[in-house]
Amino acid sequence: MDAREIKEKIFLAVVVILSLAAVLPVFHVFLSVIWNGLGVIMKAGPRFLLDVPPAPNAGLGGIAPSLAGTLLLAVLSSLLGIPLSLFAAVFAVEFPDNPLAKGVRVLSKALLEIPSVVVGMLVYAILVVPMGRFSMLAGALALAIMMIPYVTTYVEQALEGVPFTYREAGFALGLSRPKVVFDIMVGIARRGILTGMLIGFAKVLGETAPLLFTLGRDRYNIPLGPLDYGDSISLLIFDYAQTPYANMHQVAWGAALVLTLMFLAVFLISRRFTEEVFL
Amino acid sequence: MELRISAPLLASMGPLIFILWVVLGLVGATARGNSAEVSILGSGSSFIYPQMSIWIPKFTEKYPWVTLNYNPTGSGTGQKQFFSKLVDFAASDPPLTRDVWLRYRGQVLQMPVVLGAVVITYNLPVEGQLRLDGRVLAKIYRGEVRYWDDPLMRELNPGMKLPHKEIIAVHRSDSSGTTNIFTFFLHKASPQDWPLDLVGKSVEWPVDSRGNGVGAKGNQGVTQVIMNTPYSLGYVELSYALENDLPMASVRNAEGNFVSPSPQSVTEAAKNAFPLLPRSPLDDFSLDLDAVVYAPGEGSYPLTSFVHLIFWTRYGEKAEAIREFVRFVNTEGQELVAEGYAPIPPELRSVNLKAVGLIKP
Repeated sequence: MDAREIKEKIFLAVVVILSLAAVLPVFHVFLSVIWNGLGVIMKAGPRFLLDVPPAPNAGLGGIAPSLAGTLLLAVLSSLLGIPLSLFAAVFAVEFPDNPLAKGVRVLSKALLEIPSVVVGMLVYAILVVPMGRFSMLAGALALAIMMIPYVTTYVEQALEGVPFTYREAGFALGLSRPKVVFDIMVGIARRGILTGMLIGFAKVLGETAPLLFTLGRDRYNIPLGPLDYGDSISLLIFDYAQTPYANMHQVAWGAALVLTLMFLAVFLISRRFTEEVFL
Repeated sequence: MELRISAPLLASMGPLIFILWVVLGLVGATARGNSAEVSILGSGSSFIYPQMSIWIPKFTEKYPWVTLNYNPTGSGTGQKQFFSKLVDFAASDPPLTRDVWLRYRGQVLQMPVVLGAVVITYNLPVEGQLRLDGRVLAKIYRGEVRYWDDPLMRELNPGMKLPHKEIIAVHRSDSSGTTNIFTFFLHKASPQDWPLDLVGKSVEWPVDSRGNGVGAKGNQGVTQVIMNTPYSLGYVELSYALENDLPMASVRNAEGNFVSPSPQSVTEAAKNAFPLLPRSPLDDFSLDLDAVVYAPGEGSYPLTSFVHLIFWTRYGEKAEAIREFVRFVNTEGQELVAEGYAPIPPELRSVNLKAVGLIKP
């Protein structure tokens, strides 16, 4: 074996070790959530999804209001955030020279990095304080603001990936601009767009910081109306992990597993879309 | 004929449904407006959160027409949200400062509702309970008493086989009411060793530069460090030491007795501090910590603290529910105190109950 081959072997080994070092902590987190959460859910049984959380040293109870809150908030914020992102992205891709469209592009990229707690404080200042109360509405708006830059960026990328010739073909057939955009472009890019939407949905499932000062944390009632106080699984984990009580820690682990499974489900669905993306 | 829904139309449905939800919800809320249901929200101290999660279900079970919730946002945030009327009541480890109390004098009510204790816990492979006093603790956290077998330590613990190992002094790295109680105790018990400028929620620990000082975040963090570090010592809330089966030192109180932390010795401290406390919830409580930390009395545990609830005097239609909550907390609520807290003494309950007559619609 000459020096070059040895060098290559060393290089390969270093790459493998470093990639493992990067991935292992993630697996460790994942495995410890499963390890700690599974036992709790087995012990609590299906009631874990139906009961209210326990008092200190008083069994396991459940996470029903938080689970309902998380699902409802994710759906509501998606109803608002996804269409807005879709239109913003189409606008930005379709009118690249329009100054407003340029603004949308720059802003959506810049907002990707905004600390989520800032979004929470923004909604707190412009909605919660003037309304004089925490509410599901404020929480849903905060999450919608969180997801818009993500979904916009994904949809933009998906639309940009459509070859220019398809657009030309559409115009050559005498189609109007909206038809070209929404029937041809969006049609071809639909899998990328759906992936972006699902990633936005998954993103807001796990958000904590935008909800800290918007939601009101009602842990005993299932929220329905926009003025109701609500809760989320992430907030429940955040609060329960900080208490000294073992049973509350266990509830937090179980809740973490439920949240992880929801996240995984969305992720797997979005993977199916990306795998089929090639025409 | 093929019926196709166009993408823009489909996409516009989302925001429309959202707006419909808001409008229907607002209409529904107005229609429900005159129903008898009352929703109360509190915010503040995270220390009292587990206790609240005992009180809330018991209270709403008894008063099903009330929805009661509590957000553990921290004492400072709770006060802010209370004064901006976002929440109906606040829970705060420290009482209102005199300035704030003066600004809202006559409009706010304060009451200590449960007692907490800061305990000195340690990781030492030696039999027996450690005995400490304010002077030695101050010297440990100054970096002056550096070894477990220091003559001052041996003097306090004559029977114990203390090893010649360095003391690792663990303290909070974040701003904390626990640190405030602990440093205030050090100052009261040994002012010459622990000056007033080293009292507060976060302080410059002399032991960090002169000895083995270690900072950790939260009670949970300090607990973990102590459990994992032989020959360490630190201060945490009683509940963390109990839940993790950590040893707790007995601490010398103002009368010179070594007292172990327990619900009895903590309530005893509040009982002995009572003559120094205000006689009405309308009064200024800003100095009540001074009364209860290092309180007089033979059996008083010296590192005792209050958690306060803060209410308005006027509540409109919520007055009845708030009154019942105050009554509940100061009567049967005191029988439901969680492990790691201590109930307030009966004298204090009757002062707090004066608030029931002061809360008006």
